Amino acid sequence: MLVLTRKLGESIAIDDDIKIVVVQIKGKQVRLGIKAPKDTKIHREEVYMAIQEQNQKALESTPEGLNDLAKELTSHKK
Amino acid sequence: MSRANLYARRNRVKIKTSRFGELEVNQDDIIKFKDGILGFEQYKNFIVIDPSDSTLILWMQSLDNSQIAFPVIEPQIFKVDYCPVLMPNDMNALALENPADAKVYTILTIPSDFSQMSANLKAPIIVNSKKNNAKQVVLQDNKLVVKFEMYKDLKRAIANFSTSDDFKRTHIAPVKRFNPESESQFEEMEEIVINTSKENELD
Repeated sequence: MLVLTRKLGESIAIDDDIKIVVVQIKGKQVRLGIKAPKDTKIHREEVYMAIQEQNQKALESTPEGLNDLAKELTSHKK
Repeated sequence: MSRANLYARRNRVKIKTSRFGELEVNQDDIIKFKDGILGFEQYKNFIVIDPSDSTLILWMQSLDNSQIAFPVIEPQIFKVDYCPVLMPNDMNALALENPADAKVYTILTIPSDFSQMSANLKAPIIVNSKKNNAKQVVLQDNKLVVKFEMYKDLKRAIANFSTSDDFKRTHIAPVKRFNPESESQFEEMEEIVINTSKENELD
């Protein structure tokens, strides 16, 4: 991993078209501005963690466990 | 044995699954995930198993690990207007030239309280049905969530499905190509920071 130290207002350039700038620093928080082509994917890392966790939870189901679900989904009561 | 039979035999392969026992599948139906599924990057080969039960839930079964099978469903069943926007990177990774060739599945989490059942609309599985390439794509749209509760929507859809003649599925495209002419998608992210994470506010 490349680790760089930046001061408020300084930037990092990635490839020819991505720029990350330190917009604000307050206490333990850093506000980052990201300039990138419209078709670049940008996510907070927590999103990836949440997806992995949800994928893991999904594996807990079994087809037998869904027999009751099938009954509920096709029953006429709301 | 006829030539057709011989070909059919060569094309089929036996797989072991923990949930469905041993199955014989068509090699042409094997779906390849070049990057695996998030958190399970080592599993690259999957097949969709359709138990044909009334829940409309399918299973994305790993061919590399018999224990790994994700319950999935086509999201347009319970959310008719769901149409993932794919970035050029996503389309290239899937070698997807025509959005109409895509097939979309969403991974379901089904807790013991069924009413809390949820679908991951933020990161659907997109399959290029012409090449059988697939990827779990993290969509940029910040209105989409990882836990979309859809029990009531699914129940309603199943009730309508059994009483209607044609299925609404074909009315809208499975995915959409990102259009750079439209507004930047990043503005939404900033809006959400201000509205929801008050404790993260710097001022």
